[in-house]
Amino acid sequence: MGALASSTTTAPAHGPGGAHGRTRDAARLLALLFFVLALGFAGTAFALGDVFFLRLATEALIFGGLALSVDLLLGRTGLLPLGQALFFGLGAYVAALTLKHGGGSFWLAMAAATAVSALAGLAGGLIAIRSKGVYFALISFGLAQVVSKVVYNTRELGASDGIIGVPQPTVLPGVGAADPLGFFLVVLVFVAAVYATLAYLGGTPFGRQLDAIRTNEHRVAFLGFDPWRYKLTAFVAAACIAGASGALYPMLRGFVSPELMFFQVSGNAVINVIVGGTGTLIGPLYGSALLTGLKSVVGSYTAHHHIVIGTLFVVVVILMPRGLIGYATPALQRWLDRRGGAR
Amino acid sequence: MPAALDWLQFVLAPQMINGLSIGVAVVLMALGLTIIFGLLDVINMAHGEFYAVGAYVAVALLTAGLNFWWALVLTPLLLAVLGYATERGLIQRVFHSKDRHTLTLLLTFGVAIVMEDVLKIVFGANPLRIEAPIAGATEMVGLFFPNYRLFVMVVGSLLIAAVWLLVFRTSIGAMVRAAAFDRHMSASLGVPVSTVYATTFAFGVALAGLAGVMLAPIYSVFPTMGRDFVLIAFSVVIIGGMGSIKGAVLAGLLLTQVQSISSLFISPVWSDPLLFGIMVLVLMWRPQGLFGKLGQA
Amino acid sequence: MSAQALATASRVPAADAVLEVAGLSVRFGSLLAVDNVSFAAQRGRITSVIGPNGAGKSSLFNLISGAIRPSAGRVVFEGRDLTGAPPERMLAAGLARSFQITNLFFDLPVRENLRLAAQFIENGRGLFRGVGASRAALMRVDELIERFALQAQADELAGFLSHGEQRRLEIAVALAARPRLLLLDEPTQGMSHADTQDTEALIRSLAADGLSLLLVEHDVELVMNLSDHVVVMHQGAKLAEGPPLQVRADPAVQAAYFGDAREANHA
Repeated sequence: MGALASSTTTAPAHGPGGAHGRTRDAARLLALLFFVLALGFAGTAFALGDVFFLRLATEALIFGGLALSVDLLLGRTGLLPLGQALFFGLGAYVAALTLKHGGGSFWLAMAAATAVSALAGLAGGLIAIRSKGVYFALISFGLAQVVSKVVYNTRELGASDGIIGVPQPTVLPGVGAADPLGFFLVVLVFVAAVYATLAYLGGTPFGRQLDAIRTNEHRVAFLGFDPWRYKLTAFVAAACIAGASGALYPMLRGFVSPELMFFQVSGNAVINVIVGGTGTLIGPLYGSALLTGLKSVVGSYTAHHHIVIGTLFVVVVILMPRGLIGYATPALQRWLDRRGGAR
Repeated sequence: MPAALDWLQFVLAPQMINGLSIGVAVVLMALGLTIIFGLLDVINMAHGEFYAVGAYVAVALLTAGLNFWWALVLTPLLLAVLGYATERGLIQRVFHSKDRHTLTLLLTFGVAIVMEDVLKIVFGANPLRIEAPIAGATEMVGLFFPNYRLFVMVVGSLLIAAVWLLVFRTSIGAMVRAAAFDRHMSASLGVPVSTVYATTFAFGVALAGLAGVMLAPIYSVFPTMGRDFVLIAFSVVIIGGMGSIKGAVLAGLLLTQVQSISSLFISPVWSDPLLFGIMVLVLMWRPQGLFGKLGQA
Repeated sequence: MSAQALATASRVPAADAVLEVAGLSVRFGSLLAVDNVSFAAQRGRITSVIGPNGAGKSSLFNLISGAIRPSAGRVVFEGRDLTGAPPERMLAAGLARSFQITNLFFDLPVRENLRLAAQFIENGRGLFRGVGASRAALMRVDELIERFALQAQADELAGFLSHGEQRRLEIAVALAARPRLLLLDEPTQGMSHADTQDTEALIRSLAADGLSLLLVEHDVELVMNLSDHVVVMHQGAKLAEGPPLQVRADPAVQAAYFGDAREANHA
């Protein structure tokens, strides 16, 4: 499935650490812009005494983390995951249980969620990674469907109601999940850390091997590298990222439900990535912010925001498959080059 | 011994009959999916939604006063039109790109989202029920068979046979198989490839819609019915082999039997995991599924 | 199979053989693509496999390089039985191959293509550090660019190179991990006469460095000029084997080639 994302690398739209640094400046700028905008938003909202939008934005960031995990697989490794919500929901449930019954420590919840996701990722990866392209997509879809159904029917986990009454933990002295601005910043730092790590990885031999696998998996084995190992590692890493992101959800909202594992969530993550820009890493974050905002706006008029999002997605796939950042980066780079003279 | 015979007669056999009637519809749906994949190389993520649309169209026609038999005939035709438009209007736009596989998958996925919400808007989120057009049951060999289920089995089997004949014994079918085998060659031989693609997609989708109509009196009709059903359809196609008609038929019948019989022993919650587990095992043992592609049976 | 028996089968002294193939066969459905082929390639020599179309040369290459698994027979590299080993194990053992149909990373620059291949010599070091830290690999890339005269194209995407340049890069990529045996699958495929001559010179210089080479080629003249040892295949089986002149004079070989030509003339 070398496909979609390789079309984003042909026009070098990667962030720092991309295979060719021709658009490095523009990519870095757009990434920086995101975090600056986020901080600006937070400051404004806080000054205005708002809680709702801060929490909404925090949620957008949490799902942004999930989108990053999808981009690691789709945009870098060339695997289309249609069931990433499985790990997201898993992390959420583990965190909820840890917080409710295990002492309420933020760090413990995060660690537990990540550890369980890693194990689940290993198990899921061993099953799914053997398959290529379309089959991988369908197996990951199926895995999520199956597990979510089981959770939905498990009374001990609250069945269809999920787990409510999850206490909101303190992250650092003075900063807790109950504090809208504080928690927004915590999640922002988390997302920034994940982004930075993935961006860095892109510039390492490991990350480049993933690019190679995405571009021409067949040849990679003849260069002495077993693609299976790399794909599995990427899959487990993506599961950890998704699980850790999911862990933040109950801290924000105070509950978890099986819906967090449903296809809706997996699908939205893929949409965030495609709309934002496959392979760009920062694109998925923009995508998540944009689509969360869009859903909120449309949702205030009608319950049927899916039509809007679905249509937008179809339009993007047909007309702008490289996504927002996929097109913005080279365009910005051209503007920069004209202004400052090519470096 | 008598207890075992009784069990066979009154517990197992009815389950198998039920399984067969569902199986026939599942096969129809899987046939549509596998034909679309076999020819167009497109994973139709919206296939479940077309199935749901079929059921809803039947509801609409029935509400409009038509009887079930009209619905059975008209629905596939309407679905075919919808499918043709979708293929021509949307899918063909991304068809020539290098990323065809991923883009068409994502595209149909987006279409699925939109369709599901449209259904919700038009028909509401609550489940609807259709009355079985043939009431009552027939007694055979000491068992009672619901007449409608018998009807489904008979008509379904005839339809499956008809599809087989169409694909393998007609010149239209030959054109489709040629285009599946080698697109450019067929085009240069005068096969109207674009039209063939759109028609095939329409045909596949019509089969899904037909399955929707046939199963509507058995299951209730609700907007997310497609998404639940599509997993078993995909499992059947994957196990049978993507593009293989024989595979779709065999896997479809087998899997639905497994599903019905296993429901006697395990809670229904575990039936999906079971099917999925079988699919994964088959994929690990034979990644291409049980049988080959559309070009061969 | 003892070393003695292998030696008899291939008519080359076992001690000098870098690659020994014994009774190798592969079947695709009902087609026996490679039929009980045995030969050996000597260390530091250029061995060529030739034969008319459909002779099974590509399948043979695929068997030796680990791309497909044989139905029967053995592949022994430097005394180690590597039959059925996957490609990455072959490379780790010291056997690399190039492809007949150019199989590069077309969306990546030339330099990156080479670096990916050269990374192997880092042996896993620096996997999670910036690429700049992999000094040995980067030096190797510079060496290769120099050797294969790709300086002008180094930052171009591989897909934008001319056919001849791509074929050159194809060989460079195969060579990057410093294999001891290099399999070249129709290296001059589709090349102009000038490029073919350059490639011939390149192959000679590689052999002069002590590299063992196994070539599959269509260009019979090239093969006769270059090779120390020639294996002729026909319809999946080995037809003849020996020094170029001997093979060329072999009536069975002539029949196989001219027989084809005669049929072509009548077609």
